[in-house]
Amino acid sequence: MTGMEKNRWPPGDLVIWIFIMAELLVFGVFFTAYAFTRAHNVELFDTYQLTLDRNAALINTLALITSSYFVVRAVADIRADDSRGCFRWLLAALGMGLLFLVVKGLEYKHHFSLGIDLSTNTFYMFYLSLTFFHFLHVVLGMVILLAVALKARKGGYSAAEHTGVETGASYWHMVDLVWMILFPLVYVMR
Amino acid sequence: MKYKSQKVAKLYFIAAIGLFVGQILFGLIIGAQYIWGDFLFPEIPFNVARMVHTNLLIVWLLFGFMGAAYYLVPEEAETDLVMPWLANLMFWIFLTAGAATILGYLLVPYAQLAELTKNELLPTMGREFLEQPTITKIGIVIVALSFLANIGLTILKGRKTVINLVLLMGMTGLAVFFLFAFYNPVNVVLDKYYWWWVVHLWVEGVWELILGSILAFILIKTTGVDREVIEKWLYVIIAMVLITGIIGTGHHYYWIGTPAFWQWWGSIFSAMEPIPFFMMTVFAFNMVNKRRRNHPNKAAVLWALGTAVMAFLGAGVWGFLHTLSPVNYYTHGTQITAAHGHMAFYGAYVMIVLAMISYAMPMLRGREAANSTKSQVLEMWGFWLMTISIVFITLFLTGAGILQVYLQRFADNPMPFMVVQEKIQLFYALREIAGFIFLSGLLIYIVSFFVGSKEPEATIEGEVVPT
Amino acid sequence: MTTKKMFLRPCTWVYLFLLSLTFVTWFIGVNNLSGRAFAFTVLGFALIKGQLIGDYFMGLKQVAGPWRWVIFVWLLLIGSLITAAFWKTL
Repeated sequence: MTGMEKNRWPPGDLVIWIFIMAELLVFGVFFTAYAFTRAHNVELFDTYQLTLDRNAALINTLALITSSYFVVRAVADIRADDSRGCFRWLLAALGMGLLFLVVKGLEYKHHFSLGIDLSTNTFYMFYLSLTFFHFLHVVLGMVILLAVALKARKGGYSAAEHTGVETGASYWHMVDLVWMILFPLVYVMR
Repeated sequence: MKYKSQKVAKLYFIAAIGLFVGQILFGLIIGAQYIWGDFLFPEIPFNVARMVHTNLLIVWLLFGFMGAAYYLVPEEAETDLVMPWLANLMFWIFLTAGAATILGYLLVPYAQLAELTKNELLPTMGREFLEQPTITKIGIVIVALSFLANIGLTILKGRKTVINLVLLMGMTGLAVFFLFAFYNPVNVVLDKYYWWWVVHLWVEGVWELILGSILAFILIKTTGVDREVIEKWLYVIIAMVLITGIIGTGHHYYWIGTPAFWQWWGSIFSAMEPIPFFMMTVFAFNMVNKRRRNHPNKAAVLWALGTAVMAFLGAGVWGFLHTLSPVNYYTHGTQITAAHGHMAFYGAYVMIVLAMISYAMPMLRGREAANSTKSQVLEMWGFWLMTISIVFITLFLTGAGILQVYLQRFADNPMPFMVVQEKIQLFYALREIAGFIFLSGLLIYIVSFFVGSKEPEATIEGEVVPT
Repeated sequence: MTTKKMFLRPCTWVYLFLLSLTFVTWFIGVNNLSGRAFAFTVLGFALIKGQLIGDYFMGLKQVAGPWRWVIFVWLLLIGSLITAAFWKTL
């Protein structure tokens, strides 16, 4: 990629992009359902939104953005034929993913200790479903990144052939992208 | 046919088609009973005929899946089945048990059948689609376990391919979820809740894995596209099936007494269930367009493409029509459901089994790769007659359903059920006509096995592969 | 400048920009600032962040044709729907 010529296809395997589009569609439906349900229950949503931990959400947003950036560096390294560098950046990205899971887990622990569940009210139903669905995607993304990282460590990728790295990277950025909308929508907008 | 043990598939395929004919005959009987309520009464009451119609469908599809697996697994694993004799034995056990069960339905009243088969020892009878006597259910489990052992050990012994592993996953899921047929809680909500674990998680979960792997196998064989490419598609399709299909079970939980969040979970996730079917359509057409060679078995390719399209329409589009809970509030249990059921089962599962039979049967009967042109032309007539008539059956039932929903549930002065049934008679009559055309298509399909057997195989000489 | 730097440098700037937008969003959040001005600022930031992630991190800026726009179209779509849903309630 010289920067001048444009590619016809996005980086990574085309099939992952079809998968990404499908995932974005599911999240899109979820976000829209949240927004329109809120419109019918403004008071309820605004009241319970205040019980969410915005600081935790900040840490998590920073964690995901940073993680995404690390993945960008991993891709840059493998394009320069640096497998070790690629592996290390992927490991760093995984660390950030782990941080996200821990912080989100603590948030859940707090809610559950108060006896909150899916049947408490519509706001919590959406909050728990949406964030947990995303949580599972972080887990899936980490599994993919881990597989890519292990292969990179064994020298399975090169500057000439690194579709796998780009495929994993594209999926991980999608997980990040979705959270960029989820964070303001559920935690901040009122 | 590369491995001798693949031959056991033939028995399974023949039984599948035979039972398919039975299913359609009983379909025509209940179709007629929609028009003339006392048709064949009291010999074959509606509830019995309906039970036979649905049970035969499931049983013949299971025969088809097992036959497909016995053909496909050795070829993929590049080794003979470990226990072909067991596959043969289980075939006869399954066929006998199936036939005995159907005869039981037809010859004695259901309550008496329950007594005869000692249902009280482990009560499992009486639930829709799972009406089989407990002893039959136990038989199904034994057959399923032997089957899994057989293909599982073969896969372990031989080459491990993604297709084989996905198929094994689907078949294992099929067996595991069937175990919920034995769980019969007293609480009616829980009863329904777990009942769907069989019914939904089969057709909208693990069966789709079976469908995906068989489709992938046929496409590899007929198009010559790289296995790697096809496997990648299979991965994302099954990922999407699992993401949408498992929680999508929630669309059955709207009105049975489960917590309210199922309204949302069910609506959102099941609304996404068309996605994997759509991917399958794109996948099938893409692979055929990218084919490296033409395959002389045109009929098999037609079935494979047909299943990709019809599964998307029947399961995807017609499912979506009534899956959102505010819509389902009105359409639940109407002819809309029947419309969806017919096209989804035909498009997804009937057609994939027939695709596999179409691909494998010529080889099982000693051909090199394909039947004669004459036979294939007839088979394709069968394809079009059956497919077009199922489209019409679906459209007529949809028409009936829309009218039913309006008159019975939506209008300012809703009418009683039976009054509405009178008003939608025309649709039932048209559906029955389409049903007879379907039967003629099926008969032509069967005839295609017996014509042109002395003529030479179809060839691809002179055909050009588009680049 | 090497190819690697040409790829990384804009991404680094984007990364820093994403961080700063996140802090503004968080600030609006912890102070419970409400109303159209704040809500749609935050939403606008989110959409910009999404587009930058698509363009730079996912590398769609280097892609021509329909794939260039997948993220943009998605953001446009959900952005409009969320705006429509929130508009009257704020």
